[in-house]
Order: sequence, then C-alpha cells, then structure tokens
Amino acid sequence: MLLAALILTACGSSSNNGENPVKASGVLRVGTEGVYSPFSYHDPATGQLVGYDVDVAHAVADKLGLKVEFVETPWDAIFAALEANRFDVVANEVTINDERKQKYDLSEPYSVGEGVIVTRADDNSVKSLDDIKGKVAGETATSNWAQVARDHGARVESVEGFTQAIKLLNQGRVDLVINDSIAVYAYLAETGDKSVKIAGNTGEKSEQGFAARKNSGLLPDLNKALDELRSNGTLATISEKYLKANASGGPATPAADASESTWQLILRSLGPLAKAAITKTVPLTVISFAIGLIIALVVALARLSPNVILTNVARFYISVIRGTPLLVQLFIVFYALPELGVKIESFPAAIIAFSLNVGGYAAEIIRSAIQSIPKGQWEAAETIGLDYVGALRRIILPQASRVAVPPLSNTLISLVKDTSLASTILVTELLRQAQIIAAPKFEFFALYGTAAVYYWVICLVLSFGQGRIERRLERYVAR
Amino acid sequence: MTEPREDRILAEGVHKAFGENEVLKGVSFSVAQGSATAIIGPSGSGKTTLLRALNALDVPDAGVIRVGDVEIDFSKPVSKDQLRRYRAQSGFVFQSHNLFPHKTVLQNVTEGPIVVQKQPNEQAEADAVELLEQVGLAEKRDQYPFQLSGGQQQRVGIARALALKPKVVLFDEPTSALDPELVGEVLSVIKDLAVEGWTLVVVTHEIQFARQVSDQVLFTDRGVILEKGPPAEVIGNPKEERTRQFLDRILNPL
Repeated sequence: MLLAALILTACGSSSNNGENPVKASGVLRVGTEGVYSPFSYHDPATGQLVGYDVDVAHAVADKLGLKVEFVETPWDAIFAALEANRFDVVANEVTINDERKQKYDLSEPYSVGEGVIVTRADDNSVKSLDDIKGKVAGETATSNWAQVARDHGARVESVEGFTQAIKLLNQGRVDLVINDSIAVYAYLAETGDKSVKIAGNTGEKSEQGFAARKNSGLLPDLNKALDELRSNGTLATISEKYLKANASGGPATPAADASESTWQLILRSLGPLAKAAITKTVPLTVISFAIGLIIALVVALARLSPNVILTNVARFYISVIRGTPLLVQLFIVFYALPELGVKIESFPAAIIAFSLNVGGYAAEIIRSAIQSIPKGQWEAAETIGLDYVGALRRIILPQASRVAVPPLSNTLISLVKDTSLASTILVTELLRQAQIIAAPKFEFFALYGTAAVYYWVICLVLSFGQGRIERRLERYVAR
Repeated sequence: MTEPREDRILAEGVHKAFGENEVLKGVSFSVAQGSATAIIGPSGSGKTTLLRALNALDVPDAGVIRVGDVEIDFSKPVSKDQLRRYRAQSGFVFQSHNLFPHKTVLQNVTEGPIVVQKQPNEQAEADAVELLEQVGLAEKRDQYPFQLSGGQQQRVGIARALALKPKVVLFDEPTSALDPELVGEVLSVIKDLAVEGWTLVVVTHEIQFARQVSDQVLFTDRGVILEKGPPAEVIGNPKEERTRQFLDRILNPL
C-alpha cells in the first residue's frame, strides 16, 4: 500500500495546462472501486456497476454530453492510476481536504456526512476520539480516516476497504473503524449487524467530491454540472435511492435479494468465478509461463556463455527480478511506464510483468539443469557432428528437462496464485471477481473461500499433469 | 589386414597445453589406411589428448594434422566450418561410452546419420540394424542404454561411431571402465573391425590386445612419442628404457 503512495509521489509532476482532452474524446473515464457498497458496487441481481457515486458520475456525464466509461481500481491504487492517466476523475467518496487539494483538482462536494467511530457493540471504552489512543484502527492506508486515527494516537492496521475493516472489527482483530456516517449506516442497514455500533463521532463534517489530475481543466464543467444536478433535485433523488433508505433503517436492496443465504450467494458466484478463472487466471498463467520459459532459456544460455558481457547482463536481470517484489514489478509496468509514454493495457501489462518474473526464476532452474548434464554428452553430440544448437535441442535439453520439471512445476503453481496480484492493476481475475461479488453482501469469507477452492483445483490439475510428464521423462532412467 | 595404400592420418609437430601444463610437445606420426594403431603409455603421458586432437575434442595449439581428406594447420586461426569437416572424418568411442540415455539403442545409432547427414529414416535404420547385428546387439534395438550391460553399452557406442562411415575410428580406452569379464566382448568387436579393414586408432592399456591386433604401436611418454613401430618391436623388443619399465609394470604388476 505504501507503494501506491510512492508511485503517487513519483508521478506527482505530470500535468497539462488548460486544454481538455476529455471533451475532445467525448468520453469521461471514471475510476471507482466497484466493491464499496452502496457508493460503487455491482448489483447482485444484474451484475451492473451501480451505487451513489456511480449514478452521480452518470448524471454528470449526461449533463456534459459525454459518454462515461468506468475503470474499476482498488482504492489504494486509485490515485496512482489517476496520475497514470488510466482515467480522468475518481468517483469514490473522495473526501475533500487541504492535502488532496494541493495535489488534485477536487470538485464541489456531492455527498456530505460526518465522521463516526465504530466499535464492537460490547465495547464501551470509546466515546470520542480522545479514547482511541493506543487502540488499533482498521483503515485503508491512504484514506484521511487513517490520518485522523493516527493523529489521535491509534495504531492503524491497513485494510483493503471499509467492508474488510468491519470484518476485522467483528473478528476482534482491530478495536475500531473510523469512517463516514453514510457508509456505516449503509452497512448496518444492509446486514442488520448488531455486533457493532456507532460509539461516537469525530466532530467533523466530511465532504466528498470528484478528484481529477491537477490543472485538468475539468473543474468548471464538473462543478457547473453538480450545481445543476443539486438544484434540480437529481442528486437528492440518487441520494434517496442509495442512502436515505439506509438512514431510515429500511432494506437497501430488494427483498428477494436480502433473503439470499450465504450458500445461495456462493452458488450464484460459481459461474462468474469460473468465467474469471477461465478467461483471466488460466490464460494469464499459461501465456506468462510459456513466454517466461522462453526468456528463461535465453537467459540461462547467456548465463552459461563464455561472453562476459552476456553473462553479466543475465546475472543482473536475474538479480533484479528475484530481488524485488512481484507487486512492485507489476506496478512499474502498469503505473510507472505510462509516465515514460509507454501505456500498456492491464491484461498485457500483467502478462509482461509475470513473464519477466517467471523468466528470472526459471532461468536459474534451467541453467542448473543444463549444468547437471555430464560434459560427455556434449562431447558425444559433437563427435556425431551436431552443432551447438543441435546438441542443445536434441541431446542436452531433453535430458535437462527431466531435472527441471519438478522445480519448474513449483514455479508454475506459484504463478497460478500470483496472478491474483493482477487484481491490483485492474484485471478482473478470480480474486477480484470474488471481491466484486462479496462486496455488496459483505460476505468476504465465503467468496474468498470459494475463490481459494478454484485456485486449489487449478493447482491440482497442474500437479496431475506434472506427475504424467515426470513419469514420461523417467522412462529411460533405471529405477 | 589389407595392404596399406596411403596415410589416413598424418600428424606433424602437434602441440597442446592446458594453461601452464604442456601435454603434447611436438608429436608426429602417421596411420596407414586400413591399419590399426595402438597408443600406449603411462597416465598423463598425453595419449588421450593426442587422440582427442584427432577429433578436435581438444583443439591443438600448433601443428598440422590431416585426417582423411581434411588437413588443418592449427598454428593458424581455424574456422568452425573447417573444424566441422575435420571432425566428420573420424568416429569417436569414449571410455565411458557417453550413449544418449534418453534415446533407444537404435536412435543412438541413427541420430548422426538422420540429423546430421540427413539420410532418409528407412535407410539410416536399415544401416543401423546391420551395424547392431555386427556388434551382436540387433535384438536390443528398442531398449534404452540403462537396460544394457557395460559391454553392450560400449558395443552400441562403437556402432554409433561407425554409423557415420568415418575414414578413421578413434577409441579412447574403450575397455577401461568395464568389469573384467566384459572386456573380451568389446575387444573382439574391435578386432573384427581391424580385420574388415577399418582404420583404427586405439588408446589402450590392453597390451596383449595391442600386440595381437595392431599394426603399429605408439608409446607416448611426457608429451612425446618415445618409440613407435610394429608391436613385435615396441612391445616385444623395446629399445627405450622407459618403454621397458612401463611394459614391465603393466605385465608384471606384482
């Protein structure tokens, strides 16, 4: 999560003055979480992205005569993605404060609430911010609520979003959550959760608006549209739809939906999760692994070559790939390269990052496998007239593959699970899909558990394949 | 044994050093077509390096060697293509056979003819089966090397070397890694090849074999050929003191 902040600072300088590319393209690209009910989430019945912020964005775009395109992004990466020009504005209950005003163009507010402190129902030790010193607060790392908690002496545990924070509170892993009253009321109404309560308020109003890149030139249009929507009652209507119902304690979702049990939810999720696994997780794994193996072979041969320059280039590559977190590699490809003018869509960006990563790890496996083949095999290949490539292809690699298959299978199986990191760069793969389905119902455990089973099944199939390949390669070895 | 018509190998002033260690210090000899040459000598005398130079497994630093139709002056830069043509003149049988473990007996023999010489599969296989019959292993054609005894493995190694129809066949201590009771089957195959008129160069510790089969014996010592001639002379009546000492140690180890 710090990463997002780091990249954010690194990217802080990008700007353009006055001109308005949004109008030119006719499309307003909106970054939003998609898992933040009731502001930005997928309707369980239709699968459509809906919510207060989503509907406001639609209304504003309509007013401006623009088409709207939503880009779903985890909250902690949302400003980095904004800087990287993945979209034009953030519509995700961005709280207006001075620090953000310096870095971004913030619109007039379209929702107003107050900060409240949520604790477990049986916890009477917190009445106000003065009581939270030394306690643990669950907050998203870059939110202003995290700052409020820190300022009053609480230790902040980083979470991925409000719903996860409440989950941790329920589990006793954090003592309190500070958030906007609107979000808290929405949660309480939706779930009927009686185990947590609002213990006090922070005494400050919070105003939420759109965020755009500094000097985007979008503010006059956005504010004008918001003014009109406010005065003609459109904002009130949308607010009624998503928020007032919560405040009144009534159900926020249709009755049929509210009665859906956890098992029904899991059952309903099986199809979308399978689709995410088949269209995203499996192709990501297979394509990245195939490209990664080719990279690895080339790097391994470079590493083994007598050419000192080649050897050192290969060493450097392996060292960098193995010495840096995969998450950073993903972020560099997706968020940092656009700063250098190289903009890559999320799926290919993930393929590039994963391929390079596999290349680094598999190179050492392939190198040691090649080195494990006796020198006499190279010599015998030479004496029957094979050249380097021929010897490698026909004699050495077939034997080396027997040595390399078990450790390479490890790499492949790790990769299956590592693809879940692609969710941080906007790929709706298996884990992200689980988040999307879980968010409106706050059923994270059930959905993450289901996703885990899917990962496990994929890995089981791969292990089975590994066994078959190994048996085939063992056929010429004495047992 | 056929009447020698021309030299199949002609080596002049061959030098080879590994770092500081000068292993060959100007070696010259010739091998007549259809003859068998035995190279004997103490460990470290350079006999294996000399043999490997004939196939460019170790490339000499200086000297001129002609094998079959290809002559190379190693004191000048040598191209890869030159080395490839030079190497194709000879077949090589290793001390530890170095069969390809992932290929069947038949595939080991046909690998060179099919992949390198681009022979049609059927022809290469027919030729390979014939060679395997010659070394008495035709019925093992579809087995993998690990299923064979050491002697059988070495005989497949010989068939593999012959499959490329080389002008010369080089043997690097072909029986040293074998159990004693398996030595005979391999030596008898080599002996048959000599009788058939193949040109052979054999690095060996089998003095009796050298005496019975070879036409010429080279005794190497400290990087030079100290004595060469027919086995009756070099083994039967050595002129050099070091040759006598060596033979005495080998023939009367106690």
